[in-house]
Amino acid sequence: MASTAPPSIHHERPPLYRDVTVVKWVVQIVALLLTLGALWFLANQAGDNLRASNVPTDYDFLSVNPGIDLSSGIDTDPDTGGRALWVGMVNTLRMAIAGILVATILGVIVGLARLSNNWLLKKIGTVFVETLRNVPLLVQILFYGAVFASLDRVTTDVGPINGWLHISNKGLSMPRAHIADGFYQWMIVLLIGLVAANFLRKRRIAQQDATGEETYPILSAFGLIVVFGIIGWFVHPIFGFVGKIFETLSSAVSSVPETVLQLVIGVLCVGASAYWIRSFLNSRRTPAGLAKLTDDDYFRMIFAAVGGVIGAVFFLVLWPGLSSWMINSASDLFEVLGNKFGNGRTGRPFDVDLPNIVQSGKFPNYGPSGLNFSIGFAAVFFGVVFYTAAFVAEIVRGGILAVPKGQTEAAASLGLRRSTALRRVIIPQALRVMLPPLGNQYLNLTKNTSLAIAVGYSDIVQVGQTVYNQTGKTLPVVSIWMFFYLSCSLSISVIVNFFNVRMKIVER
Amino acid sequence: MSEEDPISVALKEEQGSPHEAPNLPVGQWLRKNLFSNWANAILTILGLFAAFLMLRGVLNFVFSENREWVAVRTNLRALMTLSYPESQYVRVWVSLGFVVGLAGMSAGIWSDWGGVQVRRLATWFMGAGGLIAICVIVREPSVIIGTDGKVVRTVEGSPLRESFVDAMVDRSGWWIAAVILLATGAGLWSRFSRPVRGRRPRAELPITSVVFVGIGLLILSLWVVPYGHYAFISETKSYIAESGRTVAFSTQMPWTVMWVLLGLAFLVGRFLRSSRYVGMAKAGSNMLWLISPFALFWVVLRDPALDYGHVISTDLPMGLAFGLLGGAVLWLLTRSNIGEVGRVAATALLVFAVFNWVAAFFGWYPMLQKARISFLLLALAALLAPNFIGEVAKRRQLVLGWLGVMTLVHYLATMINTPSTVDLQSTEFLGGLGLTLFVAVIVVILSFPLGVLLALGRTSKFPIFRMLSTSYIEVIRGVPLISVLIFFSVMVPLFLPDGMELAELAAVLTGYTLFSAAYLAENVRGGLQSITKGQYEAADAIGLTSAQRTGFIVLPQALTVSIPQLVGQVISSFKETSLLAIIGLFDFLRVANSVIPAQSEFMGVKREGILVVAMIYFFFNFIISKYSQRLERRVGLGER
Repeated sequence: MASTAPPSIHHERPPLYRDVTVVKWVVQIVALLLTLGALWFLANQAGDNLRASNVPTDYDFLSVNPGIDLSSGIDTDPDTGGRALWVGMVNTLRMAIAGILVATILGVIVGLARLSNNWLLKKIGTVFVETLRNVPLLVQILFYGAVFASLDRVTTDVGPINGWLHISNKGLSMPRAHIADGFYQWMIVLLIGLVAANFLRKRRIAQQDATGEETYPILSAFGLIVVFGIIGWFVHPIFGFVGKIFETLSSAVSSVPETVLQLVIGVLCVGASAYWIRSFLNSRRTPAGLAKLTDDDYFRMIFAAVGGVIGAVFFLVLWPGLSSWMINSASDLFEVLGNKFGNGRTGRPFDVDLPNIVQSGKFPNYGPSGLNFSIGFAAVFFGVVFYTAAFVAEIVRGGILAVPKGQTEAAASLGLRRSTALRRVIIPQALRVMLPPLGNQYLNLTKNTSLAIAVGYSDIVQVGQTVYNQTGKTLPVVSIWMFFYLSCSLSISVIVNFFNVRMKIVER
Repeated sequence: MSEEDPISVALKEEQGSPHEAPNLPVGQWLRKNLFSNWANAILTILGLFAAFLMLRGVLNFVFSENREWVAVRTNLRALMTLSYPESQYVRVWVSLGFVVGLAGMSAGIWSDWGGVQVRRLATWFMGAGGLIAICVIVREPSVIIGTDGKVVRTVEGSPLRESFVDAMVDRSGWWIAAVILLATGAGLWSRFSRPVRGRRPRAELPITSVVFVGIGLLILSLWVVPYGHYAFISETKSYIAESGRTVAFSTQMPWTVMWVLLGLAFLVGRFLRSSRYVGMAKAGSNMLWLISPFALFWVVLRDPALDYGHVISTDLPMGLAFGLLGGAVLWLLTRSNIGEVGRVAATALLVFAVFNWVAAFFGWYPMLQKARISFLLLALAALLAPNFIGEVAKRRQLVLGWLGVMTLVHYLATMINTPSTVDLQSTEFLGGLGLTLFVAVIVVILSFPLGVLLALGRTSKFPIFRMLSTSYIEVIRGVPLISVLIFFSVMVPLFLPDGMELAELAAVLTGYTLFSAAYLAENVRGGLQSITKGQYEAADAIGLTSAQRTGFIVLPQALTVSIPQLVGQVISSFKETSLLAIIGLFDFLRVANSVIPAQSEFMGVKREGILVVAMIYFFFNFIISKYSQRLERRVGLGER
């Protein structure tokens, strides 16, 4: 009988040093250990060096008076290091938000100008973009700063509109509208109005869809909000009782025992990792049972488990102060809110103050009552706005060019007016393309505000540098910078992603 | 950047199609482009008004009687190289000459630059002439300087200005220039648009000669126009304008030599291009570009006082030993029957090399630093050796490459460890534009391999590598450069073991490179993602190892795709070198912003210097971005 049996396929395991899975994981683990070892070595070295020079790396300076003056911000003479850094953060955020708004508007205008049929406008747009994006931002900021610094001195009466607007080498001063006593109660009325308006809008849309009648849903919703705002202006003191609620909350929170919170945090860590592993296993489940897990899958599960345990240990053992900090700050927050919403606050929601000029020393200067922009602010503001606007203009132009020409023609053949076509057909499609790079530019703008250090505007980096020059706590300050900027990046990407998801084409 | 970035595609398509505008008569052109309807006409008028205001503002600023351009003129040398000793200036010129020669040769070897139509050139001439004429008219009449050298003022204190006609007469020099340019342009235009024997002459001039003549004119101006001269007084540590010597006499000759060198090198390159050594010439010029920044750095900064006894007894034998013995090892490791032994030997070498570094930290046994580096490099080369197994030619390639690397490493290491005799006169090292260019070039070169590695790590199938590189990239990209630079310039001394020191510039360079690498990695990743799966599978099917697949199949394509982003990265790296001014290095922005305004003659004169710095940055960036557009079209990126 001829041997017809197929030759048995002999699975010989390769030697250990040629086994792909083994080599893969050994190499990775060695690399991970080397990285961790290097980091540990550096941290150790830094710790030794810092101890040798008597600069402990703790965060005590946050609650100690740093003895510094800031050039601008909500509090120019902060009484703790933490407060100083907070002022810096607020300044950075102010600059970033104002810059993003204005840069977007300017960028859209320039981008559209570059697309227009008008030869002159096109050329002006091109010159704007090419000049501003090829000159480093820092050079621009320093130049604007130098130009503003060469303006006239403040005198007791200067300015195009006396008493309303002052421009000098101290910057710009103009009337300031600010939140006053009754603002928070008024906001409650407005919130109710918002809910009601949303309800109204939905009903009107449904009505319009059902009957075909024009019911002006958006317009009527806005009208309702305005009505609520006007009524709230007069009746807001009736919401004084909200303050009581917050005060009760505050005392309730402060009575939570620390150990309970600590345990809850630990359990949450472990629970989260367990939940993740369970859902991961579920995702690998097929009708025929659990799919074969690869080494990468095992790695993920082990990683999640180890992460959960490390997190729990970290919060339970290594950082016991966390729970008391959380309890204290939550209780403080509610107490502050209780105060803001408190009964005694019956004044107007808003007030307007005119700028004033005071002469305390040798030279007159702007008083605190107006809205003052220092030349540092102006230099950084114009710098980031012009620089970012040049990039935004290119994004807008590219986004509109990316919409196929057929779309315009199709809209025209439907008989849409050009403005309608632009609003309903071109811009929605262009926006979808434009959003991701725009988000990137907003991130860049936020990071670029750190160049304020060059002209002495008190943003987070400048304040941080002053603080660590005074206290020597470089490492903690740098860690706060990183934390702050990373959270800014994260929030901007979350916002952009939110709109991105809403903009997406709904596919089958 | 995702693989299909619609915005850049759209922009590229637009600029990639230079549609020749039909020659309309002036009236029709105006109606079509400026006054096609009511809204357009209003926009045109508004635009004209805005352009007029802007131009007038800029001109009045530049030519104002309050501007002290003399501050920039006398400080040109400070802006370029800060306080580099004048006696050693020949080093700077030699380095620059080397770069210029290399550039000329590369231009000759590499590119078919094409031509520019004479009619196009004529429009440039006419445009320049017209612009000058408009500027002359738009600018406000100058103030009147009295006999006492002061501005004559009216009773209210505002300066008295001359009448419009007087101003136009005063600016007759500009008028003449404008008229000459306009006439030349118009003459050329009509000469080359009139049909000769029924055909319009399509005369083209090579771009290279147009650029060459342009640079020549610029250099000619050095012999005629006074640009200024300055001196560093070491007793008072200040920068003083030397009176009476307002001509840039010290730079005329060198620049002329550079110009001639450029032309000669270009001719040599052209010759090489047509000879049969073209392949070797291309590889050689690439190598020189990579090496020259490092080598020239030592030429400029160091006049090493070599201890020849030490060189002969230690440095030379060591270099030879590593070169020859290492070469022999590599030759053996690439034998075709080497098998597993090669890998084991390479791993053993790697373990030994790493162990040397560990031992160095704990001080177990002494060893020269360059020996440690050489061992590490040898281990890496041994790991790469399996890729070169086979024909003699490939094995020779590896060994020759090794010899080259060893020569370079040992030369540089010896030079670094030799004390310099160049007296820099101040604690700052090379400053001014030199520092800026140096930092930009070094950062771009160093961050490239690191960025590619990070990108490969982020797209790799190994989860731990992916995690490490992803978190590195995202953290670095989330924080501003200035905080990274401050961190490195302040913190690096803390992280070093006792007895080790790092110059501030080195610390900053490290931080900047690490920062730039994270951004570069993202650009390369975009390219990597555009490589289709089929490419990987094809590479696997013909039996390439994963290193070969990455090196010969994936990376070349990925890098080609990401050229536009990479060039953008180069531009932003160059722009961001301006941040050096904040952390206390004397780049040329710092010179303009802090050094010049602190001089006693030019107290507080800032704007002029910053404007010049802005123009220099603009010049470089504009040229790079225009060149990158050319490059994109040449590698055919727009046409996918």
